[in-house]
Amino acid sequence: MKPSFIALSAAIIAAIGLVAISRYDDMARAVRSVSFITGKDQASPLLEKTASAGDIVSADQVIDTVTTAATGPAVDESALRYFASHGDTARLETEISRLRALYPDWTPPKDPLAVPQNSDTGLETMWQLYAQARYAELRKAIAERQIAEPAWTPPSDLIDRLAVAEGRVRLINASDLKQYETVVRISAETPSLLTCSEADVLWRLAEAFFRTGKAQRATDAYAYILNNCESAAERLATVQKAAGLLAPEKVEDLLTKERTAQDGTKEFGAIRDDLARGYLARAEADEKITVPASYLARVERLAEAGGLASDALLLGWYHLPRGDGAAAEKWFRRARDKEDTAEASQGLALALLDREAPLEAEEVMYRWRDASPDAKSVYLAATAGLLARDPPVSIAPQVLKRIAAETIEARDGATAQQFGWYARALNQPQTALQWFKTALGWKPDDEPSAYGQAVTYLQLEDVKALSQIQSLWAGRSERIARLGEPEGETAKGATDRLLLSEQAAPAKKEARLPVRSVSDTGERPQRSDIAPRPQARSQARTVRGCSATVNPQTLAPEVALARGWCLMDMNRPLEAAAAFEVGLLGASSKAREDAAYGQSLAYLRAGLGSKAAVAAIKAPQNRRRATELQKAILADKAVAAFDAGRPRETLLVLDRLKQMGPERADLLSLRGYAYLKLKRYGDARRIFEALADIGDRDGQRGLAIIHQIFREKN
Amino acid sequence: MKRKWLAIVLAGFLANCPQSSQAAPLDPSIAADDWQAYKDRFLDRGGRIIDDANGNISHSEGQGYGLLLSVLADSQPDFELIWAFTRTELLLRDDGLVAWKWSPGARPHVTDINNATDGDILIAYALGLAGQRWNRADYLRAGAGIARAILKHVVVEHAGQTLLLPGASGFAAGERKDGPVINPSYWIFEAFPVLEQLAPSPEWQKLRSDGLALMKSLRFGPRQLPADWVSMASPAVPAAGFPAEFGYNALRIPLYLVRGGVSDRELMAQFQRGMADPAGGTAIVDLLSGTAKERLNDPGYRIVNHILACVMNRSKLPADVKEFTPTLYYPSTLHLLGLSYVAARQPECL
Repeated sequence: MKPSFIALSAAIIAAIGLVAISRYDDMARAVRSVSFITGKDQASPLLEKTASAGDIVSADQVIDTVTTAATGPAVDESALRYFASHGDTARLETEISRLRALYPDWTPPKDPLAVPQNSDTGLETMWQLYAQARYAELRKAIAERQIAEPAWTPPSDLIDRLAVAEGRVRLINASDLKQYETVVRISAETPSLLTCSEADVLWRLAEAFFRTGKAQRATDAYAYILNNCESAAERLATVQKAAGLLAPEKVEDLLTKERTAQDGTKEFGAIRDDLARGYLARAEADEKITVPASYLARVERLAEAGGLASDALLLGWYHLPRGDGAAAEKWFRRARDKEDTAEASQGLALALLDREAPLEAEEVMYRWRDASPDAKSVYLAATAGLLARDPPVSIAPQVLKRIAAETIEARDGATAQQFGWYARALNQPQTALQWFKTALGWKPDDEPSAYGQAVTYLQLEDVKALSQIQSLWAGRSERIARLGEPEGETAKGATDRLLLSEQAAPAKKEARLPVRSVSDTGERPQRSDIAPRPQARSQARTVRGCSATVNPQTLAPEVALARGWCLMDMNRPLEAAAAFEVGLLGASSKAREDAAYGQSLAYLRAGLGSKAAVAAIKAPQNRRRATELQKAILADKAVAAFDAGRPRETLLVLDRLKQMGPERADLLSLRGYAYLKLKRYGDARRIFEALADIGDRDGQRGLAIIHQIFREKN
Repeated sequence: MKRKWLAIVLAGFLANCPQSSQAAPLDPSIAADDWQAYKDRFLDRGGRIIDDANGNISHSEGQGYGLLLSVLADSQPDFELIWAFTRTELLLRDDGLVAWKWSPGARPHVTDINNATDGDILIAYALGLAGQRWNRADYLRAGAGIARAILKHVVVEHAGQTLLLPGASGFAAGERKDGPVINPSYWIFEAFPVLEQLAPSPEWQKLRSDGLALMKSLRFGPRQLPADWVSMASPAVPAAGFPAEFGYNALRIPLYLVRGGVSDRELMAQFQRGMADPAGGTAIVDLLSGTAKERLNDPGYRIVNHILACVMNRSKLPADVKEFTPTLYYPSTLHLLGLSYVAARQPECL
């Protein structure tokens, strides 16, 4: 549901031309007001009363039932009178078409507004209660009158409508509370609710079917709307909603019900773009999903023609984990050319690391290194990868200098360690020792750094220092213990290889030797560890608890789950997400929920909101967590929409968020900037003033911008 | 068609229903003025009973009490109003039980979808009484649905006893280390015969007899009183995570016993001794020490002691207890339930 929200509201706005919709409520009202009711639809419920709960029967079948049941000659016009006397023309027309459908022989009054008022004032009051949706009070009024006038019976029209109206309230309440079986039950009991004039109810029923394991019935409910209902906005929204729940092939079936206007435009044309984007976003979170070529091609066309950086990003993130680094690089570059953002740069850096081009990756990320914790970890992965290149690459002094500065600021043990190896490779053993010591200072359990130190002491023939390290690591590292053993298998092998590598790398002979001996015995992190793949950008960093680099696929789900949380503690969200992915295979639903929750948080932390939204639905969440996640996902979405230059969407998402609780100050300022972009200066000023009042710097800044604008205007 | 079906249902219902002496009195036993005063204070126009001591929320217990009081005041329009709210706003759970908590300021209004079993019992019981009194098949049908859901989801067997779980989730043996945890004040004895008519099952009779045994055996501390919340993991003790007290929940137990037609004098005496406060009121008792934590002077609480004195010693109710003046939702509700009992069954104590 969530991912389709923006697209849906956008579609509705597009369809009904309402640009000033600013609240979700307004949107819901707009949805309702644009629906119009044909006589046929109004009287053609989706479910037959006698059908077992949730059986969808054909509309024609139901129409038969309704017309047979309604052949009585007495036409109750009291509702008509009430609406007429109150000038409620919308309801009046609905009532006329309803009565027409019910009583084919009935002729509506020529001038409905001239219909005389109900002479029965008590009944008039009842209709008033009905019109004001005060149904419980209406029930009471009916009971009171029946006691006062035992001969009086309420008009069956009133009773029927009341039952339907109450059913609607109950159904919506149950749906809001995720009591989906109740939703299906009420639908079956109140078939006359299920008409085109109640698209919201039909959508809720469809979702209830889906959530209670009846995907086919959900599809049928969406198909019912597309087969029978006319409202263009609701038809679009139906496809959007279906796409949020149903499998792509089901959605494809629904799309065949597309209508073509006289001028040849296809009604779902615009939606297909969003669908394609949606599939790509979903596939981003799940490597196993392959997006049909036609959708991929559609987004490619969009990215090329429309030129939205976000489309290019989608393509980049789609290709990267599927091993097509070249395509990923192309699209990330495209996105970055449009707009250099942290996300585009991260993607590009990862693609570059993938093809072992860490020098450029460092260059690309340097500017964005402080954009987010994840940006920082990509940057540090690039630096570690760059220093770990074998053979070492030449790095410009100013680049080395800034890498060193960043490493120290971030206290990044992995890069520090690689600095050590790099210094050794450049035959600067003293510098190497400094870096290994630094790395150990940050991560006392970093065995590779201790080993690097030991190897360097061996090279420097500092026996005392070497044996100090050996005693410190006794029982914890065999290779450190065996260093310097003349007859040791390892040392002997190392010597052999040492000789070999001497021949292989004649240049920088002295420097290469120890490095070679180390790398060939496997002590240096393997390439794959250094140049992280996107799902494990920062595996080069090792920390206690989940420090070892492990392919999560090899772990039991419970172990992977624990590892996921450990990695989250270490702020390594992408690796955590991969571990949680395995955790999702856990046996208990609690564990699966935990894993899905963790994965959502991980993606959020990694700045990948759309992935988080998908992860969140992988296992049903408990209410508190679901709300928490939904809020975080929406907040992320609002920021993303704003960054993508879509302030109107930003406002819609913020409104949605606001319904879930008080607005955070940072989101409030985002709202201010969105208003600013839409030139709604009054609204923007109101927000910024409120923020400035509480001393918020964004608020003060926003006010300054507005002053500036008005000064320029005058 | 509808009418015929109604007749069949009613015939069946009444055939299964020899006038039980345990069922609540059918004559209106709440004075019209008292009911009006109660409504003015606690019943909002849309049909919800407002718990004014708890942030003006509503809950299934309050709705159940409101429905029961409407029957006792013989006001079908009020019953219809309260029931319409209850049905559309709370009777929403997939399992047919009633969501317990409704907050006016929250969206959605239901802020906890769990049920509270005493609320379910009160609502089903009132529906049974109302259906019978006003010949309404829809009330009986709805009451039967809730009664069946109670049987299915919150009536459990534990160590040979039939117990009521206080809610469908969170209290069972598998859900708490010290589970099952029960609330003895959820045994609303007068309701069981009516629920049995709505949803015939031997469980209701067992709930009554095992419930009575429980009330006799759950005696904690120097005052020998039951706790509000009791862990039934052997041996029965006041449940962890709740104050070990004879509190606002448990103090209505004697009222439910007398209203349910329980005539065991030994049991009554046990409560009378335990609840007697030297200062004269009703007390919230700390079970460990046996001391009064809080003294409750509201006539709605004190009426419980006076009803015990009436039943045991034919003592008359004092003037301020005989009068009904609304105070807060909960004591005022107990007050009306107490007065309706005395009016119907012990008029000599008035």
